[in-house]
Amino acid sequence: MKRKLAAIAAAAIFAVSAGSANAARDYVSVVGSSTVYPFATVVAEQFGKTTKFKTPKIESTGSGGGMKLFCSGIGIQHPDMTNSSRRIKKSEFDQCQANGVQDVVEVKIGYDGIVLANSKKTAPFQLTRKDIFLALAKDVPDPSGAEKLIPNPYKTWHDVNPSLPDTKIEVLGPPPTSGTRDAFVELAMEGGGKNFPWIKAMKKVDKKRYKAICHTVREDGAYIEAGENDNLIVQKLEANPNAVGIFGFSFLDQNSDFIQGSFIDGVEPTFEEIADGKYPVSRPLYFYVKKSHVDIIPGMEGFLEEFSSEKAWGEEGYLTDRGLIPMPDAERKQMHDDVKQLRPLEM
Amino acid sequence: MMEQTEEIRGEKSETRDWEVVSREDRRTVGIPFVDNPRMTCRNIDVYYGDEQAIQDVSVDIGNNEVLSMIGPSGCGKSTFLRCLNRMNDTIDICRITGEICLDGMDIYGGEIDVVPLRAQIGMVFQKPNPFPKSIYDNVAYGPKIHGLAANKTDLDEIVETSLKKAGLWKEIKDRMDQPGTGLSGGQQQRLCIARAIAVSPEVILMDEPCSALDPIATAHVEDLISELRKQYSIVIVTHSMQQAARVSQRTAYFHLGDLIEVGETERVFTNPRHQLTEDYITGRFG
Amino acid sequence: MNNKTPDSSRQLIQKKLARRYRTEKWFRRLGAMAVLISIAFLGILLVTIVGKGSSAFQQTFVKLDIHFDAEVLDVKNLSRANYPGLVKSNLRSLFPEVKGRRDKKKLYNLVSNGAAFQLQDMVMGDTSIIGRTKSVWVPASDDVDLFFKGKISRDVVESNRRIKDIQLKWIDRLQTENRIEKRLNTTFFTAGDSRDPELAGIRGALSGTILTLIVTLALSFPIGVATAVYLEEFAPKNKWTDIIEVNINNLAAVPSIVFGLLGLAVYINFFGLPRSVPLVGGLVLTLMTLPTIIISGRAALKAVPPSIREAALGIGASRMQMVMHHVLPLAMPGMLTGTIIGMAQALGETAPLLTIGMVAFIVDIPGSFIDPATVMPVQIYLWADSPERAFVEKTSAAIMILLLFLISMNAVAVFLRKKFEKSW
Ligand SMILES: Nc1ncnc2c1ncn2[C@@H]1O[C@H](COP(=O)(O)OP(=O)(O)OP(=O)(O)O)[C@@H](O)[C@H]1O
Ligand SMILES: [Mg+2]
Repeated sequence: MKRKLAAIAAAAIFAVSAGSANAARDYVSVVGSSTVYPFATVVAEQFGKTTKFKTPKIESTGSGGGMKLFCSGIGIQHPDMTNSSRRIKKSEFDQCQANGVQDVVEVKIGYDGIVLANSKKTAPFQLTRKDIFLALAKDVPDPSGAEKLIPNPYKTWHDVNPSLPDTKIEVLGPPPTSGTRDAFVELAMEGGGKNFPWIKAMKKVDKKRYKAICHTVREDGAYIEAGENDNLIVQKLEANPNAVGIFGFSFLDQNSDFIQGSFIDGVEPTFEEIADGKYPVSRPLYFYVKKSHVDIIPGMEGFLEEFSSEKAWGEEGYLTDRGLIPMPDAERKQMHDDVKQLRPLEM
Repeated sequence: MMEQTEEIRGEKSETRDWEVVSREDRRTVGIPFVDNPRMTCRNIDVYYGDEQAIQDVSVDIGNNEVLSMIGPSGCGKSTFLRCLNRMNDTIDICRITGEICLDGMDIYGGEIDVVPLRAQIGMVFQKPNPFPKSIYDNVAYGPKIHGLAANKTDLDEIVETSLKKAGLWKEIKDRMDQPGTGLSGGQQQRLCIARAIAVSPEVILMDEPCSALDPIATAHVEDLISELRKQYSIVIVTHSMQQAARVSQRTAYFHLGDLIEVGETERVFTNPRHQLTEDYITGRFG
Repeated sequence: MNNKTPDSSRQLIQKKLARRYRTEKWFRRLGAMAVLISIAFLGILLVTIVGKGSSAFQQTFVKLDIHFDAEVLDVKNLSRANYPGLVKSNLRSLFPEVKGRRDKKKLYNLVSNGAAFQLQDMVMGDTSIIGRTKSVWVPASDDVDLFFKGKISRDVVESNRRIKDIQLKWIDRLQTENRIEKRLNTTFFTAGDSRDPELAGIRGALSGTILTLIVTLALSFPIGVATAVYLEEFAPKNKWTDIIEVNINNLAAVPSIVFGLLGLAVYINFFGLPRSVPLVGGLVLTLMTLPTIIISGRAALKAVPPSIREAALGIGASRMQMVMHHVLPLAMPGMLTGTIIGMAQALGETAPLLTIGMVAFIVDIPGSFIDPATVMPVQIYLWADSPERAFVEKTSAAIMILLLFLISMNAVAVFLRKKFEKSW
């Protein structure tokens, strides 16, 4: 009896809500990267508080998860936009097409630098990408010069490069599920691996092996997976002056009183250097928009306008206060036009 | 106690003029049937899983009589008693064959509903088991669910008479709203009796109702049984042969699942015809 | 055995006695130690959380004498007026000596973005204010707030400090003019999420939690109790019920993310319910709490003595009456305990809510079961992951609120249990 009642009640709730809630959605629904989340949310809040529209809902699902949701179909039950800390993949784009998400607009919003930082109690590191590769790869080229790999023998930074201090290699970084980790291995480690001509040559012959060499991080305790929470890494750096942490530039920006970024290839991770493109470990950030939703979802047009406005992503915009590295003027203008015209992506 | 048993044996040994049935013979001796019975049991077998607990028992329960069941511990008295109001249905592994009729109706028949049946055949359990509710609610519960009282005054009256009959009224009439579980063991048992008779059953099954009572309360309950007999049929399991002798008209002796002997109480105690019965009442067994 | 004399038996008993007492003493010591250790950890937890979080209940405010300029505030288009401009011009008039874009930006950064929103709300609420001048306390920016709470030190080299020397000078001046002070942070209790720590509040997540838990409780308690009663009291004992029992026990140990995936597949993809809403959150958490409630419910039912059942059946109660009148009331306290454990589990979950979209930035406070919402643990997680350092104290404060919520939930359960226990 009671069970039956409960079942009926549940069914009724389903029917009512499925009918009413999805009949119309009056807020923009955004999913995607946790790296873009701190920026997208600021825009959303600004937009919600200064217009009559509701504040867009921003989910932090990760780039891959966001793409999957985004590409699952057209209609108000699917998100309108997805944030991504990497470009959309061909496979994801095809998935979108297959599910009827025809016109996808790609918008680059700026750059994010990935920094290796340590406590201000010690001197900043002067690293090269080759140093990073040698210090963190699981297998490294034989130091004797032979073209073969040996398990990473380096214990201290000094072992890697005599100009570096004689401290133990202790790197706190994100786990493999994180977009920051993806970008780090691709930009820093692969960039370092390429310094060995025979590894570089392998890219054409055996791409899989090339990637395995460059992207596999050592597991003998020198690299410590510290979880997705960058704040946690920052706190641990404070406590352990010998450790080096890997995280997004905005965390360095917010905690510059305790920690300092390591120079990479002679470039310090500062706002200006990343914006100029001189700092080697930086990546573009994107969001993707369903063109067909723009006319249906109230406030979507305005939200896109807010996002691509100079006061948001411009050099002096409020997103740069949050650590977003703006694009060069010309690129920004180009992107703004793309957003205005909703120019679909082709792949 | 011992003295009395001695006496019975002494009397019997002098006057024995029939052959005593041997220990090996497990057929029932005596006359298990009565004229105009209230309940009839025929060829009852009870199994707990694969274990047989009762073998081929046939016996009648007459109108306005008290039938007492005696026998060593574990011989199946409770088991048999519980068959009479289908209490054994609640034990999954318990299986019953044979026929038990109340006023000619097979109580295990398909058309019989156990709920009214159990109101008709009340039961008092071996261990006192009052509900964790007030004394009043304990007694009023049965009449309430069966709709026996038209209104509150009716119900109050039923509760009062039931408690009076059970000999509990004087002790607890001022604290009817206190929990029944707060009473002493003997009081609890009388409360359970009051609860059973509140639904005016036609047959009352009592499983060692006095095992937890002092002699005064026991006497009280025995008086009650004699009183109730005027209206009801009563089956009582007891370990006290004196009690059986005092309250019952007929006595049945069980041994390891067999009904060994049944007959007029006085006759069974004075002139047992089965060797096992004799062993038991003379204290040579159990 | 039997050939022992009473004397030698007594000696044997004596010999063993010492050992028996010794083991008992050790057991007691171990128990006391375990309790002490747990209390110590609880204490450390509470001290750190309260230590970090209590400052979040205060917020630094700055007094501005705002002239609600009719030129800026066009009555016909109030929502589009330049409220930040009002704040900025006021700051400039307070510090007329500030020149240059960079310095001006630093000046504007003294107060929160929320100041403009606050002015907007004031004007929209009462248009008669236009044209007049009024002193308004507006929230300071997060960095100023941290500085004022002593979490940014003056002694650090300027380049490493988020509050620059020039800003320190301004703050000092504001302080001598009594224009800056710490006040109770009501925003924290009335606002939804925000990316500005000084504007962020717990109310949105709290409402989301309450709505979600209402759905969970409303579904899982009756269904759980009914299922437990059915399985324990009515269902035939056979292969099928065995299979069901094993499955329920297994479900209780399934990682909670699995329920999130199930919820996504069933409620969102199949039934088409919207993402990120308390209704779906509640449904998913119901799946998660049901096994707990059913298992504890069955244990509670099993613990009801069989004599009570026999007593009820013996006077002709039907099975249903037996269960409803006698067994269930006796089992209720145990069932409530199980329910509370289940609800407390549900209260702390984030993993299953990720897949159904409740790990999200939601500013508007949810008012119904189908408004987008998030819940307290998710809010804590999101704040802990934010780069702005002022979120550290908000995170701890949110944990304090979560603990309070948990305590009050348990208090209600204890109260209900007492009530049920009293009635018999
Ligand atoms: N629920 C049960 N499951 C299995 N066997 C049972 C069950 N109840 C009783 N039995 C068995 O049935 C036999 C008869 O038990 P019963 O309780 O009827 O004895 P009894 O004559 O009432 O004994 P006592 O005088 O000690 O109460 C015993 O061997 C007992 O072990
Ligand atoms: Mg018995």
